[in-house]
Amino acid sequence: MNWRAPLAFLAAGLLLWLLPWLRERLDFPVFYLIFLYFIFFWIAQASSWNMLSGYSGYFSFGQGAFYGVGVYTTATLVDKLGVSFLASLPVAGIIAALLGLGVGFAVFRLRKLRGELFALLTLAVALVVAAVVRNLDIIDGGYGVPLGQVPYPAFLGDYSAMLYRLGMIVALLTVFVAYAIQHSRLGHGLFAIRDDEAVAEGLGVPTFRYKMTILAISCFFAGLSGGLHALQINYVAVESVFNIRVALFVILMSILGGRRHWLGPVLGAIIIYTLSDRFSSVQLEFLNQIIIGSLLIVMILFVREGIYSRLQRRLWFALGLFALVLLVQVFGGIGARLISQVAVAMLALIAVLLVPEALYQKLFGWVGRHAKV
Amino acid sequence: MQLFGQALISGLLLGSLYGTIAIGLTLTWGMLKVINLSHFSFAILAGYITYQLSITTGMNPFLTMLVTIPMFFLVGVLLQWFIEIFHIDEFMSLLVTFGLFIILESVMRWFWTADHRFIPSALNPYLGVSLWVGPFALPIPQLASFLAAVLISVLTMYILHRTYAGKALRALAQDREIAGAFGVNYRRSAMMLSGMAGAYAAIAGAFISMIYGVTPTAAIEWLPVIFAVVILGGLANAFGAFAAGLIIGVTDHVTSAVADAGIASLVTFVILILALLLKPEGLFARRVAE
Repeated sequence: MNWRAPLAFLAAGLLLWLLPWLRERLDFPVFYLIFLYFIFFWIAQASSWNMLSGYSGYFSFGQGAFYGVGVYTTATLVDKLGVSFLASLPVAGIIAALLGLGVGFAVFRLRKLRGELFALLTLAVALVVAAVVRNLDIIDGGYGVPLGQVPYPAFLGDYSAMLYRLGMIVALLTVFVAYAIQHSRLGHGLFAIRDDEAVAEGLGVPTFRYKMTILAISCFFAGLSGGLHALQINYVAVESVFNIRVALFVILMSILGGRRHWLGPVLGAIIIYTLSDRFSSVQLEFLNQIIIGSLLIVMILFVREGIYSRLQRRLWFALGLFALVLLVQVFGGIGARLISQVAVAMLALIAVLLVPEALYQKLFGWVGRHAKV
Repeated sequence: MQLFGQALISGLLLGSLYGTIAIGLTLTWGMLKVINLSHFSFAILAGYITYQLSITTGMNPFLTMLVTIPMFFLVGVLLQWFIEIFHIDEFMSLLVTFGLFIILESVMRWFWTADHRFIPSALNPYLGVSLWVGPFALPIPQLASFLAAVLISVLTMYILHRTYAGKALRALAQDREIAGAFGVNYRRSAMMLSGMAGAYAAIAGAFISMIYGVTPTAAIEWLPVIFAVVILGGLANAFGAFAAGLIIGVTDHVTSAVADAGIASLVTFVILILALLLKPEGLFARRVAE
């Protein structure tokens, strides 16, 4: 890893830190900050899932468990024990990581528990955790935990700016770690495990230790981001925290974006959250689910490697079309909100990326012929 | 003692319904390498169709199976055909059917709203009628579902072990290429098996509709328990799934009776996790395959 990457992440963080200030100057609605917070939340969750499942090939359906443990750790520490909110965040990450290590210790010792069984076992863990939380009165006991007004340091700005800034820091940190792992010895080892675990082991990759390490890191970020999300949810309840939604969304985002690259889940999170937010805002909740389900099927069948690698090959054409569609809407005055216009432009971008390779070469092969392949 | 005995009986009766759903899932998973999450949606959808048929035509809920069984046999066949033409492997099948699962859930919500749909008692004559054996009640619909589950597992075992088509399927599950070289038609056999699984989903759906009623989220509520049953019973093992269904049904009802319902779901999953860790090939595996 070179020194430029951490600097780039730091610079991005500083720029994004100033955005709430810019929003006040330009008089944009607060809604945009909340929207961006959600984008950051999903980026953190999807990247955390992808570090484990995308890199090592062990599909987890238990993201909801680790996220939920984070949510409830913060809720319990802040509401019941009076711990300050910022201090509770790392604890949320650590407790989720410990749960992950426990699961990993049980699962990874058994060679039989590969692939599909790992996926189902993590689903079972999510259900067990939900049942425990529902039954323990110290944590929830089935009544929910109202957080209300939580004190926080003043330099973070007003409530929505604070959520936005912390969400941005957590997301950037997660993505940076995903990036660093991909370019490290650990990352190469995990890729080898995904391709063929027996061969990797034969070649000297310490598979058990690597899998435990990545599980702990992945769960830490799931818990950290979950802990912060407790503030956004505010009224924490078992049914809303431990449902299949989180696991479903992170899988979908990573598959859509591409699981072999750290940018894949970031792209996936931005696209899926924007689209699903727009669908529910126009009262098309049922259509939202149908489209997400169909998108999942279409992606699995036709773009198995995810859109990131296609985007690399069709970068100029796809971005050009995205910009064109966006500009036409903005200057033509079509659609009320900027986010809706962006969502429409994203649909155009996805459409370009869904075109099969052979057909694309025939139609648009002349665009970006000189681009690096 | 009375309470305990009744809990045991209710557990056995409910467990048989678990078994009915689990048999379809375990067959396609174990023999065709298709983890069909939409199996649950098929069952609930069949439940809705049972409900709709009985309220619009006044049909006896048991007779609706004459419609739903062929219908979902066809659905199963089509699903397998789709999986074949797109060369979907085991893992992809999990994701593709998950997509289908989400789509079907919203379709059901759209058609029948989120309300709990229950066949009115005038059209559901057996609900609440029980056969009394000494001090214990055996409700008729539950008893029928138990008999159906026994019939299904015996029939499945018979087909797989005694008929040519079943033996061909087992050969294919062991080694597809060699079985193919001996002239076994994979596509046709697989479509038949998937159709059978669909038919079982329809039967389970009719009983769910008669006994509990249906909601769009019912599919996801049944999912964890049935997976526990499938894994406990061992893949592709119809008797195993039936027996595991009974075990989980009984532990569930007995813990609910002696402790409380919240603990019961916990006990079920603790059993599942222990079973996965101690005997990952299933409780009833005679010998390890391969």
